[in-house]
Amino acid sequence: MSLLEVSALSKHFGGVIALKNVDVQMRAGETLGMIGPNGSGKTTFVNIVSGQLRADSGGMRFDGHDTLGRQPHELARLGLTRSYQAVRVFAGLSVQKNIDTACLLLAGEGLARAQLQELTEWLRLDLALDKSAGGLTLFEQRRLELLMRLAQRPKLIMLDEPVGGLAVTEVREMILLLQQLKARCSIFVIEHTMRVIRELADRVVVLMAGEKIADGPPAEILRDQRVIEHYLGTVHA
Amino acid sequence: MNPRHLNARNMGIALAILALALPFVLEGNRFLAFVFGMVMINVLWASGMNLLYGYVGLMPLMFAGIAGIAAYAMIYLTRSFGWSFWLAMPAASFGAALIGVLLGLPSLRLKGFYFTLCSLVIQTVLTLAFIFFPHFTNGDTGLNQIAPPEWFNGAPLAGLWFDLVLAIFAVAGAAFCAWLVPTRLGQRFIAIREDDVLAAVLGINVVRNKIIAFFLVSLYAAVGGCFYATYVGFISPRAFDVLTSLNIWLFVAFGGRGTIIGPIIGAVILAPIPFLLQELQAFKDVLSGVLIIVVTLVLPGGIYGELLRRRALRRAAAQPQTGTTAAPRT
Repeated sequence: MSLLEVSALSKHFGGVIALKNVDVQMRAGETLGMIGPNGSGKTTFVNIVSGQLRADSGGMRFDGHDTLGRQPHELARLGLTRSYQAVRVFAGLSVQKNIDTACLLLAGEGLARAQLQELTEWLRLDLALDKSAGGLTLFEQRRLELLMRLAQRPKLIMLDEPVGGLAVTEVREMILLLQQLKARCSIFVIEHTMRVIRELADRVVVLMAGEKIADGPPAEILRDQRVIEHYLGTVHA
Repeated sequence: MNPRHLNARNMGIALAILALALPFVLEGNRFLAFVFGMVMINVLWASGMNLLYGYVGLMPLMFAGIAGIAAYAMIYLTRSFGWSFWLAMPAASFGAALIGVLLGLPSLRLKGFYFTLCSLVIQTVLTLAFIFFPHFTNGDTGLNQIAPPEWFNGAPLAGLWFDLVLAIFAVAGAAFCAWLVPTRLGQRFIAIREDDVLAAVLGINVVRNKIIAFFLVSLYAAVGGCFYATYVGFISPRAFDVLTSLNIWLFVAFGGRGTIIGPIIGAVILAPIPFLLQELQAFKDVLSGVLIIVVTLVLPGGIYGELLRRRALRRAAAQPQTGTTAAPRT
């Protein structure tokens, strides 16, 4: 059974069509990449699936539940969470408080202290717990974002450009972390950096002006003539 | 345990003991005892305002309006139905708190400045309502000779014992906040204050928690309003207008929003000023205005917030070696 099943999803903002009949399916344990030029509707897609925007029409099922029109906090409870293109942590609180807030969701049934400790060390935030989250580097904030999501034991985590703005060496580290993340939960990832898609994704969906134009393994997609023309950019170059 | 928490707790306990002891000390001086009683009512109000302004991050300018609804309702229940104050006060407060929730509903989707604007409109409408429903409020003339609550033996509560009751309610109000903040509910409030979108993604039901906060803050406003009416013995729409809301807000902002001690400090320092400067009425409003500007520009965290910030800076300066970033693991 598929973990996420999105069918014929459409959304428009005024006269602009952001998404048009987009179908996306995802199996549990799979890592699905989404690519497309700026303005092709990738973030809109994540916003709708994570409950922050309402779709105009279409269907959405997650882990056996009909999730169309559900609020973000309800989806968090079902195990669907997301990160943000512009990193989003509680900048005014300490790292520890950020983590504590994420742990409020599951309370008693959450991670044991040892598991949380293991996550914190894995994401190398164990020495930064007392620091203000707003004072962390971007890379640290991205790791904190991941930690806060994982503390909630999600089934699916949707990452919106997880390496955006990172330095070259940090990108390499982040890809390593994300590869290890694959063992922990299913990942949906939007990325412009092709390396991330190539090294991470099991399958790639390509959006173009709100429509899905391709869907398949990365190696195949990145050779697809239409994708090369419109996205990887040989047409005008 | 963190020494800062210990300090705040000790300070709180000291303030509580002081509040409960002062009525006995001031018994001989009716004027100072009255000022003390007014400070206690304002401490209760400031603690309530702080729950929403300091912890949820919304500035409710309809605060005084809610207090007014409760006060008028309480008087109506005691005068028209002969209810005891101790029955009318909780009933009126509960009702006013529900009205507070209803009035808050349209502004659930607003935050920051826009919420404040909306609450200002609601406050203005409430002030007008107090004037235009004279059957309940006696309009602009106001209601006087409001009976004080009765004591256990049926005698009216007065003097030392009334001051002591006010002190107990003020201490209980502040203590409830201190208890609430570390709970899961308090932590959700703080998450909503910091970033409500992120809070929702992390599974926090923002709307429901805001409604709970509206209810609590309205309850504080209402209980304070009932005590204000019986303690002063006279109310008019002016007692519950937007200036009153702004004053209570100023106690919180001046003392230190988002801390338990801060709003108490603010109320203790600022609330007596109008009574001590009775001959200088014009000056009093000027002082309020100046304080609002000073707080906004110089002390955005309030007195107590600034104290905490400096202490944290000193501590960070004292131990520059620790807290370095994690070195990449190889």
